[in-house]
Amino acid sequence: MIEVRDLTKDYGPHRAIHALNFTVKKGDVVGFLGPNGAGKSTTMKIITGFMAPTSGTARIAGFDVFESPLEVKKRIGYLPETPPVYTDMYVRDYLRYVARLKGMEKNRIEKSIDRAVEKTSLGDVQKRLIGHLSKGFRQRVGIAQAIVSDPDVLVLDEPTVGLDPKQMHEIRELIRELRGQHTIILSTHILPEVQATCERAIIINKGRIVAEDSIANLATLEKGRSRLFVRLRREVGDLGAVLSDIDGVMGVESGSSNREWRVNLRGNEDTVDAVSSRLVSQGYGLLEFSPSKVDLEDVFLKLTYGQSRGGEA
Amino acid sequence: MRGTLVIAGKELRGFFASPTFYVMLFLITLIMSYIYPIQLTLFNQMLMSYVMQPGMPQQQLNIHYGLFLRLLSYLNLMLIFIVPALTMKLIAEEKKMRTFDLLLTSPVKSVDIVLGKYLAALGAILGIMGVAFLYPLVTASFATVNWAPLVISFIGIFLVAGVYAAMDLFCSSLTESALVAYVMSVMMNVSIWFIGLSAEVVDSQKARQVFEHLSLNTHLAGLVEGTVRTSGLVFLLSLVILFIFLAERVVESSRWRA
Repeated sequence: MIEVRDLTKDYGPHRAIHALNFTVKKGDVVGFLGPNGAGKSTTMKIITGFMAPTSGTARIAGFDVFESPLEVKKRIGYLPETPPVYTDMYVRDYLRYVARLKGMEKNRIEKSIDRAVEKTSLGDVQKRLIGHLSKGFRQRVGIAQAIVSDPDVLVLDEPTVGLDPKQMHEIRELIRELRGQHTIILSTHILPEVQATCERAIIINKGRIVAEDSIANLATLEKGRSRLFVRLRREVGDLGAVLSDIDGVMGVESGSSNREWRVNLRGNEDTVDAVSSRLVSQGYGLLEFSPSKVDLEDVFLKLTYGQSRGGEA
Repeated sequence: MRGTLVIAGKELRGFFASPTFYVMLFLITLIMSYIYPIQLTLFNQMLMSYVMQPGMPQQQLNIHYGLFLRLLSYLNLMLIFIVPALTMKLIAEEKKMRTFDLLLTSPVKSVDIVLGKYLAALGAILGIMGVAFLYPLVTASFATVNWAPLVISFIGIFLVAGVYAAMDLFCSSLTESALVAYVMSVMMNVSIWFIGLSAEVVDSQKARQVFEHLSLNTHLAGLVEGTVRTSGLVFLLSLVILFIFLAERVVESSRWRA
């Protein structure tokens, strides 16, 4: 459905994206993940035909974005970072305008407005001025605007930015509901959003794709690694020395005091068993002993900032 | 074409459904209703005194010259300031509110966007002209009015307003600020009346002809007297097309400029 080949964009001397290559199949929900300024919005703008790339191509449903922009734009629903709403229009009139602008047939317009309003739960406010709506509702009007023309491809640029947690949850639910009917690309710098809504993630940093895989595979990118959180009753000067001879212990970091430690392991349950029995046999007073998997966030941070989560619990 | 009509329809509804436009119309009628009776009385006095001043130019005794053309010149003066107010937001505001993104990612061409907005501005101007036409219409109930030259002179002013609208739309496309667009537009509207002034001071015959042709006065003069000259129509229409084209280029450029 979406095919991006060697896409490059320069802003003057600054190269925003370097030769991006990726494909999105029909019906997929793909998260486009990266820190601020990684080139997410730039990529989205090019895919939607809003902006021309410096080199490379992007094809939507077989149409090149630059050779047949009108065909591409008919098939795309786009929610930019700021929802493109007219504050002096009524919600329903606005959606009707967008549907007509997208070139929908007259007899389908009212039906598709009803559908978009229902999906985004805008029923109660559809006769109000957009200018009088809260930020969360405006964002929903923005999403309604993107889906009103029933496009094949939905491009959502940071759909939950600036919303409160409840609204965020609602928007994510909505995106989950839309799964299957549209091919969706979702850009965000918020990790749980991708975990909650997407099947596949493309992680981008400084204009390059650093990882592209299913969420499940990304989370277990560093297979067999795990981490133990240990809280002791007695202070220990150097836990690393105590555990160093156990096979599979990679390293030890101290927490907020000498009573709390994080132990990085490679190996199986035997290693965990060995660590716990060592701590008990030494008589440190084991209060807490919790294993945690290296999660997606670590992978994300490692890939984008070149560091793993160390400082915070 | 479809896009043009959709955008024109939306903007027209924006004008005619907004209180601002009616406040503007109200203020225009306020000024005209003050001026028109004064002009009417002056015209009346002139006719009375004609008996005592036989040497007076006959032309001034015609109601078309003595009354309606004065009304039209006041209307023109007001349009210089009102047309920018109508057009200033058309593109600048879209850029500022980021709704321009919607237009640029919709299946419409840049020329559809500009033409749609231009047609809407013409529609609003037509509304203002309609209000102004009420004055001669009422006058017709107690005086003999020659309709053909009257309508042609209104069309002349409408064409000039069309030139303002095209220039002002171009100004609106240049900036994100409606205020900057307004000031730029007023300057442009005023300055096209000054270009012709050079014709008075240049020595070369050729240069004088060029400046005379560029002068809006030359072309409007014929129309307001009720004579349609194709050179005038071509000049006004080519100004409109030039500025529509420039505005289209600016809109199109936002697709490739970073």
